[in-house]
Amino acid sequence: MAEHVSCQEVVELVTDYLDRALSGEQASLFEQHVNFCDGCDFYLEQMRSTIASVGRITERDVPLETRDKLLAAFRDWRRS
Amino acid sequence: MIAYKFLRSDGTGAFTRFAWPLPNGGPGAWVDAPADPCRSGIHACRLADLPYWAGRVLYEIELAGDIVALGTKVVAPRGRLVRRVAAWDDAFRATYTRHCADRAHELARESGLERWEEVIEPSIPEGPALLGFVAARIAEQAGGVEAYYAERSRQAEWLAAQLGLV
Repeated sequence: MAEHVSCQEVVELVTDYLDRALSGEQASLFEQHVNFCDGCDFYLEQMRSTIASVGRITERDVPLETRDKLLAAFRDWRRS
Repeated sequence: MIAYKFLRSDGTGAFTRFAWPLPNGGPGAWVDAPADPCRSGIHACRLADLPYWAGRVLYEIELAGDIVALGTKVVAPRGRLVRRVAAWDDAFRATYTRHCADRAHELARESGLERWEEVIEPSIPEGPALLGFVAARIAEQAGGVEAYYAERSRQAEWLAAQLGLV
């Protein structure tokens, strides 16, 4: 079969793509899919926007109560 | 080397969002970037690559330096947009999309792959890149991986002929 990337694989690979951690061939297949799939193009844009926004937030910007809730949620994440 | 480059309607790169210097009575300014495929450099299409990257607007691009040829693209350290391919407009995109849809129906009928018929028409609003992919995937399902690439080549030949590109 010719190599293709599915929508599910785009979701799985998106952070590696944005981190430039994919091989040239993988990145090319990823981009080919995004080029024809409006849904994945939108998803990629959302991820870019989220990273751009979250990247500006420092630890001090997060209220203590929110920080504790997040830590608890991620602590239990693998158990749930 | 003369190659081709699809950009967004606003003249930015499809993936990088780089604002390309557009031709304006002459070629746009040269752009330099180290050639590192899919990470850095000037990425462009040969004629055979056009169906894989069909986008909103198409430019002819002059590439310079050591050019790296990959499966569906070329990458160079230097490039400038020479001219817009005016024939690639919204009307032509719609015509090519319809061409690929008709071909997809034909392949599905010939191969007894009727389940694809449900996919073809609803995909049309997403444009030519998707319909080209759908037609090639039907060809692949019917005839294997070589049929996929043969269908892609057929699309590229059709595009080159219709757009007057050589």
